[in-house]
Amino acid sequence: MSKIKHFIEQSWLLIVASFLFGLLIAVTNAAWSPRIERNKVEKLNHLMRGLLEEAERFEPAGELEITSSKGRKAGSSLFKAVSGSGECVGWVFNAQGPGFADKIELVIAVDKDFEKIAGFDCLASNETPGFGDKIKEQYYRNQFVGAPAGELVLVKAGDSERIDSEIVAISGATVSSEAVVRIINNSMTQIRRQMREKGLIGNGE
Amino acid sequence: MANDTNATAGVYKETLIAGLWRENPVFRLLLGMCPTLAVTAAVKPALTMGLSVIFVLFCSNIVVCLMRRLLKPHLRILMFTLTIATFVTIADLFLKAFAPVMSETLGPYVPLIIVNCIIICRAEACASKNGLAVSIIDALGMGVGFTLVLCVLAGVRELMSAGTIFEIPVFSLARTGGWFVPWAAMSMPVGAFITLGLMLGLVNVVSKKTA
Repeated sequence: MSKIKHFIEQSWLLIVASFLFGLLIAVTNAAWSPRIERNKVEKLNHLMRGLLEEAERFEPAGELEITSSKGRKAGSSLFKAVSGSGECVGWVFNAQGPGFADKIELVIAVDKDFEKIAGFDCLASNETPGFGDKIKEQYYRNQFVGAPAGELVLVKAGDSERIDSEIVAISGATVSSEAVVRIINNSMTQIRRQMREKGLIGNGE
Repeated sequence: MANDTNATAGVYKETLIAGLWRENPVFRLLLGMCPTLAVTAAVKPALTMGLSVIFVLFCSNIVVCLMRRLLKPHLRILMFTLTIATFVTIADLFLKAFAPVMSETLGPYVPLIIVNCIIICRAEACASKNGLAVSIIDALGMGVGFTLVLCVLAGVRELMSAGTIFEIPVFSLARTGGWFVPWAAMSMPVGAFITLGLMLGLVNVVSKKTA
């Protein structure tokens, strides 16, 4: 009995404070979490709109799964881009993979038949400033716009203006450029297969 | 009575100046080095970090000061950490809700304020031993002192790495036909270490001359 009394004596403040602080955090979280959720959705929508300008809204089209080359599985959300007149103008999904320093998370857009890439954007990346973070710059990203949605190849030298399956690496940032190409290649084949299985796109034959 | 008031005012002034210069958390106590090095690549994130630290320091100093007579000596650090963690979580939620871009730039460094030594140091060294007024002034002095150093450091690094201050162009960049070639290294960790080292040296020289 005296042990319990001693325990209460020593720790009552800690117990009371834990409850009070927990309550405080719960109230704050309840008040702000709708706003935080909205921010996330808005950011994704903003990125997707930048990739597919003709789209008016993005409808969730299911959760898919991407297995990395090392066998790790990650979820991917698929969105159907719908134009003002209700037509499907493309598909957008997110994919991730290891970059130079940290995980790179991309949003990738393709056309409605999954034949051409409509572009990509970075949802989250932590590449070296001045080198690897150039993957976010327009001149690198533009190479992907209109490129065939097949196997892309990274080359060290070439014409970055020409749109084909050859992607010219950023000088001084081969690892980051390669990471982007690998994420896109890996996710695209798998997403396309899963979409065909679901009957969302034709099987291309 | 008049003497008493003067004496208290003197203590307040001393406490405030201690935080700003004499015991400046970064230059003198060398505390809070992690955010000092990590978020000073540009002025905006540095200022946001500084303001978050002021908020957390202010709230935790008040709470610790109010419960100082109830603290059991061997449980005090636990209580400090609990208090600090609560306010850091609130600050983190606030940034996520109202400044999502800034929250993303700062990344894990906002939750890491929990282990920022400045705050636990002030709880231990000041708030748990002094009255409410002194605790509040100490929090403001230390918080503002920390924020100022962060902003100066970030100002130098942003100017060198991008030619801007607070995202306002100062130097005309070579890319657009000007003369300044940005030093990418300054926005990387190496820039933080070099700038901080040079600044600490400068502060030591200045304080030796004035002592």
